[in-house]
Amino acid sequence: MSETPETPQKFVVPIGPQHPALKEPGHFEFSVDGEIVTGASVRLGYVHRGIEKGAENRNYAQAMYLMERVCGICSHVHATAFALGTEKLAGVTAPARAQAIRTIVAELERLHSHMLWLGVAAHEGGFDTLFMYSWRDRETVMDLLEAITGNRVNYSVNLLGGVKVDITPELADQIRKGLDFLEERNQHYLKVVTTDETFLGRTQGVGTMTKEQAFLTGAVGPTARASGVEIDIRVHAPYAGYPDFPVNLVIDTAGDLLARFVVRIKEMQESCRLIRHILDHMPETELTVRMPRRIPAGETISRVEAPRGELFYFIKSNGTDQPERVKVRTPTLCNWGSVINFAPGHKLADMPMILAGIDPCFSCNDRLISIRRNEQDPQLWSWEDLRQYGVQYYK
Amino acid sequence: MDLDTVLQTSETLLQPLAESMNRPEPNRLDVVVIPENLVEAVKILVDNHWGYLATISGLDHPAAVEEGAEPDGTLEAIYHFCEGPAVTSLRVSVPYANPVIPTICELVPVATLFERELMELFGIVCEGTPTTDHLILPEGWPEGVYPLRKSFTGFSQS
Repeated sequence: MSETPETPQKFVVPIGPQHPALKEPGHFEFSVDGEIVTGASVRLGYVHRGIEKGAENRNYAQAMYLMERVCGICSHVHATAFALGTEKLAGVTAPARAQAIRTIVAELERLHSHMLWLGVAAHEGGFDTLFMYSWRDRETVMDLLEAITGNRVNYSVNLLGGVKVDITPELADQIRKGLDFLEERNQHYLKVVTTDETFLGRTQGVGTMTKEQAFLTGAVGPTARASGVEIDIRVHAPYAGYPDFPVNLVIDTAGDLLARFVVRIKEMQESCRLIRHILDHMPETELTVRMPRRIPAGETISRVEAPRGELFYFIKSNGTDQPERVKVRTPTLCNWGSVINFAPGHKLADMPMILAGIDPCFSCNDRLISIRRNEQDPQLWSWEDLRQYGVQYYK
Repeated sequence: MDLDTVLQTSETLLQPLAESMNRPEPNRLDVVVIPENLVEAVKILVDNHWGYLATISGLDHPAAVEEGAEPDGTLEAIYHFCEGPAVTSLRVSVPYANPVIPTICELVPVATLFERELMELFGIVCEGTPTTDHLILPEGWPEGVYPLRKSFTGFSQS
C-alpha cells in the first residue's frame, strides 16, 4: 500500500450571491467538516452603486436625496444623518417641531423595519405563519407612513434645515389608533417567539455571542444589545428629537438568536411608547429654517441609530455648494464581522437563520454599479445605452 | 463621565504620540499621528478601553495644480473611535508615492472590513492585513484604478 501524504482538505459550501438568506445579494463561503461549519468568509459589492462618489458631484440638497436612496428599508435615517451633519456644518439648527417629526418618522421606520425582519427571520426558521402575520401587520405602519408623507418607501420627510410635512391632530389620532393595534400584536409576537417549542428549537442557544465577543467584533444595534452591550446612539449621543424625548435602552444578556428576537420586539414596544409621548407633547414651532446654499469649509461627524444599529456619517465640506467627501458606514458592515466570527461551530442548516439574525441590509453596505458589455471593454453605460439594451433584450 | 473628561482622557493618553491635536467640535478630538506610531496609538486606546473603532474614513488630497510643481498628493486615513458622544479621530497621511499604513487588525479584528475598503477605493496599502481580496468592487476591476480618488471620473466611453 502506497502512502499518500495527508493534505488537509476542506469542503467549501458557497451560499449566494443570489438570495443567501434575505432576498438580497451577498456571497458567503462556508468551509464545513460534515455538518459543522469550520470557517466563513464574505464577499459583498453586488449592489454597490458608488453613492459616496456620486455625492461629491451633487449639491447638498441633491446629495440628501441620493443618500436617502442608500437603503430602501431605512431611507429616513440616512437622510436624517446627512441633514443633521450638513446643518451642523452650516451652523443651523432645525426647529423643535421638525426634530420631533424626524423622530416620529424614524421610530415608525424602526417599527416597519423590525416587523419586516421578524417576518423574514421567521420564514428562515420555517415558521411561515408568523411571517405572513407580521407582514400583514406591517401594512399598518406602511399605511401610517404613507398617510404622513405620501410615500411608502422613500418618505422624503427631511429638508436641509427642517422637514416638509406636518403632523396634524387628525393624523396624530390616526397614528395613535394604528399604534393600539401594533402594541397588541407585538405582545402576541413576544409570547409566540418565547413559548413556541419548535421555534425555540431553532433559536434558543443558537448563534450565541458573548458580550466580549460582540464588543471585539464590532457588533452594533440590536445584534450587540442582544448580547448585553450597552450601545444605542439614541441614548448615548442623542440627536434630533431624542434629547427632548428620551428613549429607554432595551437590552438582553442571553446573546443567542432568541435574544435578538426579544430585543427587537421589545424595541418596537418602546418605539410605540415614544411616538405616543411625542404626539402628546408636540412642540409648536415652524417646520423649517433658512439654510445657506454654500456650506462653510469644515468636517463633521453625524451618528444616528438606524434600525440595524449605529449609522456613521463623516462629511467634509469645502466652502462650495457640493460636499468634498461623504463617508457612510452602515451598521450591517460592522455586524458581518460578528457573523464571520461566531458562525464556526454551528450546523450548516442554521446558517440562514444566523445570517438573517443580524438583519443584514446589503444595499446599505454596498454603494457602485458598473455594467460590462464584455470582459475587454469595461465601461459605464449611459441611460440611453441602457434603455436601448433593454428594448433589444426584450424584443 | 462627562464629555469633557472623556475627551481629556484620550488627549492625555495620546499626547506622547501626537504630532498635533485639536478640537474641531465640542465632542471631537483630532489627533495627527505618523504612520509608524499608528499601531501604538490604537493600542493605547484599546488597552485603556477608550471606546470602539466606528470606522476608517479615507480622504484624497490631490496636489494643487501649479506650474512646474511635482504632482504629489496625499491620502489620509482617519480612524474614528467613539465613546458615547465623544469621538477621537486618529489621522494618518501618506504620499501617493508610498501609500503604506500598518494594519491594526491584530488589535481590532473588525478593522479588516474597513481596511479592505481603504485598499480598494483609495489604493492605500494596509501592510500585514489578513485579507486583500475584493470586498466591494467587481472581479476584473482594473488594477490601479481607485474610484474614490478625486482623479477618477469614470471610464471613458470607447
